[in-house]
Amino acid sequence: MKQCERDGQIQRSDALPIGLSTQHLESSTEEQMRMQGDLYQLLKDQGYVFGSSGQAGASQELTTATTILAFKYREGVLVAGDRRATAGNMVMYDRTDKVLEIDRSSVMAIAGVPATAYEMARILEHSFKYYRRTQLQELSFEGKLRALSKLLKDNVAAALAGTGAVAPIFAGYDAGQETAKIYFYDILGAEFEGVEYAVSGSGSSTIRGILHYLNTWGEQPLSAMPEEQATVQALRMLTSAAEFDSATGGVNREAGLYPVIKFITAGGVRMMPDLQLRSLFESSVSRSA
Amino acid sequence: MYEEPYRWVEAVGNRRQYLDDQLKEGTPVVGVAYERGILLMTMSKGTSKLYEIYDRIALGGMGHPADLEKLRFNLLEMAHVEGFNRSASDVTGSRLVKYGIAPVIKQAFEEVFKAPFIVKIVLAELGQRAGRDGFLTINYDGTFEEKSQCAVLAATPVVEQKMMGYLRQQSIVSLKDAVDVAIRTWAVGDRVQRSALEDGEDHDEAKTGPDQQMTDVETLYAHLRRCVVEKAIECALLDRQVQGPSKYRALEADELRTMLPTDLSPSLT
Repeated sequence: MKQCERDGQIQRSDALPIGLSTQHLESSTEEQMRMQGDLYQLLKDQGYVFGSSGQAGASQELTTATTILAFKYREGVLVAGDRRATAGNMVMYDRTDKVLEIDRSSVMAIAGVPATAYEMARILEHSFKYYRRTQLQELSFEGKLRALSKLLKDNVAAALAGTGAVAPIFAGYDAGQETAKIYFYDILGAEFEGVEYAVSGSGSSTIRGILHYLNTWGEQPLSAMPEEQATVQALRMLTSAAEFDSATGGVNREAGLYPVIKFITAGGVRMMPDLQLRSLFESSVSRSA
Repeated sequence: MYEEPYRWVEAVGNRRQYLDDQLKEGTPVVGVAYERGILLMTMSKGTSKLYEIYDRIALGGMGHPADLEKLRFNLLEMAHVEGFNRSASDVTGSRLVKYGIAPVIKQAFEEVFKAPFIVKIVLAELGQRAGRDGFLTINYDGTFEEKSQCAVLAATPVVEQKMMGYLRQQSIVSLKDAVDVAIRTWAVGDRVQRSALEDGEDHDEAKTGPDQQMTDVETLYAHLRRCVVEKAIECALLDRQVQGPSKYRALEADELRTMLPTDLSPSLT
């Protein structure tokens, strides 16, 4: 009979009661597919649906708008994001973390509808872990980029309906090429490499010009800046974005709220602690004495 | 021919003999808790026998590699689907074993027309804080046992008891202690297994020499020195101090080298 008949017992649904459907084990081809370590496919096989069209919601005020940025500095890549979530004119939340660690060497910074973006991050996080554990090797950097692209593509209907548009930045350490890289995406899933920097979100038009100016005519290109100087620039840029975009949070000193800034280097992902951000902000960003 | 109940009982008995025979040359696995987490240790010839299952769960196995792979995939699938649909905190070793693979292994064992799984498995689970670490062992017939602080896998219950007896007398604080105790316990198990093999079929009753001689430290190191000629020491950790949710890491050769007596190090290259 079938190759997997020996394990016919695994096909019994009562043998695996932890919410695990076993229909996908029914043929050897499917079983081989299963060995590929694709959690997203496995979830879909079990009836999980990602990205609904949700046209009725198009007229709703959704939580969107933000500023996220990433650029290469001397030791790797810096990724930063403000912490405000808005819906129309309303500030929904001021402590959002939009720079999400997907695994030990990559982050996804999110702009767009947070519900969809967080779900994407969750799928990616689980998929990369599952791949590493089943295949006993890390998913390649290209593989990770494709995984995000695929999610965005599956989400096109919601993105076009206005209920689930997400335009993320994905940055990570490419172990094969021994360098940290930045990619940004449009809401349909097209992937572009940010050779020096990438921006996304409603406040991004403000800082895109600044990044270009700094990188071209500044005292030194962004890629030559040491970590501290790069952090100061990121804080200044997010403060500028907040100046012109009501949906970007900037810094709230009274509440002790600073942007989220993470670094990707050969050693992995690291976050700059608030205390350090505060002292850099006081010394090099704030203009009040 | 198995329709009559006594035939079935006989067939299951035969299969127990068959599995004992298949596993008699298997390599023991040792799991011990130390101050920062859990160490799993075995010796292998190329194919790894220690694996990451989930954020705080690791697997050690002995037996047929293909069977081990199949069960490993089942565990991974259950753990990740559950972790995604509910949360990482809901993925526990206990649920994976009791409602996941133990019934599958038991059924395979008792369906006498089909091949059973030739495996013994230990799952190590890192607790949220020290003292809460646990182990689950599953035998080829699906019986499982929960243990805290330490667990072992070996060819027979007699060998396992000897290893556990030795292990319980040791005190473990640091990772270095854990590695040292683990390799010595492994040597105890491997020596008992080998002398049982040499003494013939009846290995539960085999003469293993006086216990004193079996557990003499120098004798154990000498045995290990002979073993590392053809096998490599394999260690994996669930380390509470690793950043992020995934606590599993393999103990790399360089780090392991600093914890072993120098004459055991060549096995790593």
